[in-house]
Amino acid sequence: MKVFIDPPNSMILFDLVERFGHEPLSSMALIQEKVDNIEVDMPPMNVTLDDVVKGLKYAGVEVPSGIRGRLAIWGPMIEAADAAIIIENPPFSFGCVGCDRSNELTKYRIKRRGIPALTVQYPTSEEEAKTMVGQIKDFLGGLGQ
Amino acid sequence: MSQQRVTRLLMISPNSMVTPDQLVRNVQTMAPGINVKETCYGCLAESDAETMRIVMEKVRATYRNEVFSKVRGYPAGDPRRCRAQHGTRPGYAQLEAEWECLPLIQSALDEFDAGKDDYQKPVDKKPLPVKEMKEISEAFR
Repeated sequence: MKVFIDPPNSMILFDLVERFGHEPLSSMALIQEKVDNIEVDMPPMNVTLDDVVKGLKYAGVEVPSGIRGRLAIWGPMIEAADAAIIIENPPFSFGCVGCDRSNELTKYRIKRRGIPALTVQYPTSEEEAKTMVGQIKDFLGGLGQ
Repeated sequence: MSQQRVTRLLMISPNSMVTPDQLVRNVQTMAPGINVKETCYGCLAESDAETMRIVMEKVRATYRNEVFSKVRGYPAGDPRRCRAQHGTRPGYAQLEAEWECLPLIQSALDEFDAGKDDYQKPVDKKPLPVKEMKEISEAFR
């Protein structure tokens, strides 16, 4: 099954989803498409006109272009996903490489779609790590193939 | 997704005794037609999709819980990203933060592999029923 991961470029989630036998939907594949085929230098920070139009489906016209650019990439992935795994409040999600408003809109879109979603926390101890991995393992095991 | 090229980022867990040099040499011998670039955290491997599938199966078999991996959008050594050519690395903050978590994830995966499947399930927070809320309020009136 296709599983959307949030943060969409998370290595831990990508690896765990693949390890437990599902297909992770991450931003890297779509960024590769843009880098290889239309030679955009820094997606999602550089966007094409098509992206801006596509992003309007997920974020209003008054929303800053950075959010719309991100959602133009993440929105179609959420629509294609059969399930989602979200890591709450990653420390790097707010700042020069992150965007908290985009994260909020992403979570909102996942809830609106009504697909099975699991929310976990980044671990700070071995017990928390076991809880995180166990939750993900059980969630993905329950999805079927 | 383009089927011409698949680039994978392989990151070694800080608790592992494997060095990037050992990983590169091993990955290089896993299938013909693969390009591998050594990095500080592990390596970047690049090939067509089928070769990469074979390589990833072998990497998972050899370094089960020591090496973690994800797909990379940019090709290995791309001048827009490569440090040697003063490329920017906007995703590096996240990679670094996740790298610090890898020993914890590695030990959790090791425990699950050893058959220790029990873990502490987080308690689901539910809204307080109105009746209980009323009782609490009246008790402290």
